Amino acid sequence: MASSYQPGTPSNRVRIVVATSVMLTFISYWRAAAIVLNDLGSSAFYAAGIAEQAIGKSAPWFIVAVMLFSFTVRAVYVESCSMFVRGGVYRVVKEALGGTLAKMSVSALMFDYILTGPISGVSAGQYIAGLINDVFVTLDTHGWVPRAVHAMFHGTPHVNVNWTSVVFGGAVTIYFWWQNTKGIQESSEKALRVMQITTVMVVLLLGWSAITLLKQGYQPVPLPTGHNLQFGHEALGFLNHTELAHDLARKFGLLGILIAFGHSVLAMSGEESLAQVNRELAHPKLKNLKRAAVIIAIYSFVFTGLTALLFVMIIPDSVRVPVYKDNLIAGLAMYLWGPQILRLAFRAFVVVVGFLILSGAVNTAIIGSNGVLNRVSEDGVLPDWFRQPHPRFGTTYRIVNLVVFLQLFTILASRGNVYWLGEAYAFGVIWSFTFNSLAMLVLRYKYKGERGWKVPPNIQIAGREIPVGLASVFLVLLSTAIVNLFTKSLATEAGVGFAATFFLIFTISERANRHKHALAEQHLQEHFQLLQRDTVDRSGLGIRPGNVLVTVRDYNTLNHLKWALERIDTKEQDIVVMSARISQFGAAAYDLSTEQIFSEYEQQLFSRAVNIAESFGKHVSLLVVPARDVWSAIVQTANNLESSAVISGLSSKMTAQEQAFELGRAWEAAPEPKRQFVVQIVHPDQQVDTFRIGPHTPSIKSEDVHLIHRLWLNITREPGLDKLHHHDVVTEALTRFARDYAGRDRQDILRELRKTTGKTVATRAIGGDGNKPPARQDDDVARKKDDGPPSPPVVGP
Amino acid sequence: MILVIIGIRLLEGMFAIGAIGSFIVLVLTGIEDFETLIGSGDSTHTEESAI
Repeated sequence: MASSYQPGTPSNRVRIVVATSVMLTFISYWRAAAIVLNDLGSSAFYAAGIAEQAIGKSAPWFIVAVMLFSFTVRAVYVESCSMFVRGGVYRVVKEALGGTLAKMSVSALMFDYILTGPISGVSAGQYIAGLINDVFVTLDTHGWVPRAVHAMFHGTPHVNVNWTSVVFGGAVTIYFWWQNTKGIQESSEKALRVMQITTVMVVLLLGWSAITLLKQGYQPVPLPTGHNLQFGHEALGFLNHTELAHDLARKFGLLGILIAFGHSVLAMSGEESLAQVNRELAHPKLKNLKRAAVIIAIYSFVFTGLTALLFVMIIPDSVRVPVYKDNLIAGLAMYLWGPQILRLAFRAFVVVVGFLILSGAVNTAIIGSNGVLNRVSEDGVLPDWFRQPHPRFGTTYRIVNLVVFLQLFTILASRGNVYWLGEAYAFGVIWSFTFNSLAMLVLRYKYKGERGWKVPPNIQIAGREIPVGLASVFLVLLSTAIVNLFTKSLATEAGVGFAATFFLIFTISERANRHKHALAEQHLQEHFQLLQRDTVDRSGLGIRPGNVLVTVRDYNTLNHLKWALERIDTKEQDIVVMSARISQFGAAAYDLSTEQIFSEYEQQLFSRAVNIAESFGKHVSLLVVPARDVWSAIVQTANNLESSAVISGLSSKMTAQEQAFELGRAWEAAPEPKRQFVVQIVHPDQQVDTFRIGPHTPSIKSEDVHLIHRLWLNITREPGLDKLHHHDVVTEALTRFARDYAGRDRQDILRELRKTTGKTVATRAIGGDGNKPPARQDDDVARKKDDGPPSPPVVGP
Repeated sequence: MILVIIGIRLLEGMFAIGAIGSFIVLVLTGIEDFETLIGSGDSTHTEESAI
């Protein structure tokens, strides 16, 4: 039965079932790898160029070394994901390192995420602008540029590469700002397609490069020795004016290598995305995580590592850095063996792929930043103001606005300079990796819970485990991060400034929120009793089959709950009030904790719902589920609870038909066994649209019933058919219809049905693939003002 | 200056020890990765929906 409640009486608090397992469609390791590679693979488009500007022609060897080292960093992330912890990066790092270092860690991670967007957007712009200019040059060479245009540009037409990149980067960021404000879900399908296209490009690039090397020979890549290092003017940062700078390699051979390594770490940026997809991986989770991780590591090693070598081997020194430093893959395409038109076409393909993969990285950056800031806001480290949902779309738009504002500011401040952005980005990358590995190292001793896998080797000394492997990775990361502090002055200034600002905001917010959160915690303890459940089922809620599920989101629009309470006798039929806690795909590394799922917002929402139920003197059961897709969450919950009806308010951004269509689609995607149910969408004016979800007996018009009856009468007069039933007539008619539809008459049937559809709008299918309508609006129950919900079940179990 | 040199040597030492250890991690995880890839036949390539 429904839970009883009397707010304010500690012994009888409102019971709320909090499902802790996210309701989502799990993805295969291939898709997970594709999502991460969209971020990690994008580094291949700019990392080598930045490294060569900093350390000279032997940079590819350092890129290769970084890519090999990325295998070990990936192992740290696998260990981090294999721990059964909830609560987000801040909470996990706080447990290991304490509040101050946790805030610093999150600040570095934010710097990393926020910089991912600008560097990807601007880099994509560099590729596009570079192509435009080269096309102009080619056209001009052939005399195909009109004289007037030539005169207008005082020579060959061209665009300003850096400012074009700024405009492009800004436009892509604004586009994804709007997508994220609307809450458009990132699709793993799209990521997979992008990676398939990228793979085609990589295979062509490597194959064609091999032919070029055979036909034209190659220029050797200087070995990564101290003497071959040629540090650029800005590559020594604060050391530039010191005595050390004069002969770094001779005095401190290994330090030179370390500095060069530090200038190449950008190549493994995006590795942190592995943690973002962990939650979504299909069973067996750990095995699939490891598979995804190995695919990612091998792919990025081949793509980023080998192409870095090919740049130096194939592109002449005279143009590699001066012309193509910011779009090296495009440069490589132009210096492959073969006719120019083919090379130009391949370059265009490279630009398209670059646009796709780099734009994807911009979106991943916004989603990742939004996820991290949401978690820290839930932990009271950022004001709750940021988490207020968008009045129309329900997204945390203020956080999205903040992230996008910072990204746009960065794009403008960089003025399209990829090297500047890369230097700054490297700060976030290396420090977020360092903090993560340090946290994992400390958690080896502090965390006693379940852990699926550990970075090898681990040596036992006097009964104590020494994490040799993990400590080694941490040492490399820490030494590189410290050296970068001195050699990347620009990154240090920007990174420290940014991280310090965020750290300050976090610290002040935490202090300001401490009292408020203590009160909220007290309110939670006094008024609510959270019952944690891994999965949603009837026994957890103590309800009967055929119950009614009422979905709630905004505490200002609970009219549909009132409507349901007015009409349902809760002695006969239970009511479950459900709120789905949406987190976007890839928005968090760890599952949410119970307190995060049932946050202050949910407290307010359920307090209102309880007050309304009390005013009717009726009982309701309360349920919160974490979900990625609200429609799948509703369908799965209705299915698990054996609900006969779902009652929702009218969405502010969709029509009732669209809402039912989305539910129908989620129902079709849900696994078997699944039950049909009725959906009632209550409008603000109390009008109600009713739809049936799943296959069901259709409403038959009276003239059709008469037709069936007349046919039955005629047929039963035939000899031997006197025992025929009405349903036999329908079965025969449907069988013939199916045969005709599958045969030559398909087009005739569709033409006739199209004519009919316009006349019977009320009975049209509103979902499915056309063959299998998942939701249907009933003639007899559509938009009736006072029709109650099905009571007891309209669609029985 | 001595402190700077000590600091540099310390960083170099950390980097060198870490690099050797990381190489061991690379070899050990590489072996495990190989086994993971070999045993990929029983994996789930299709999407599943579940709670």
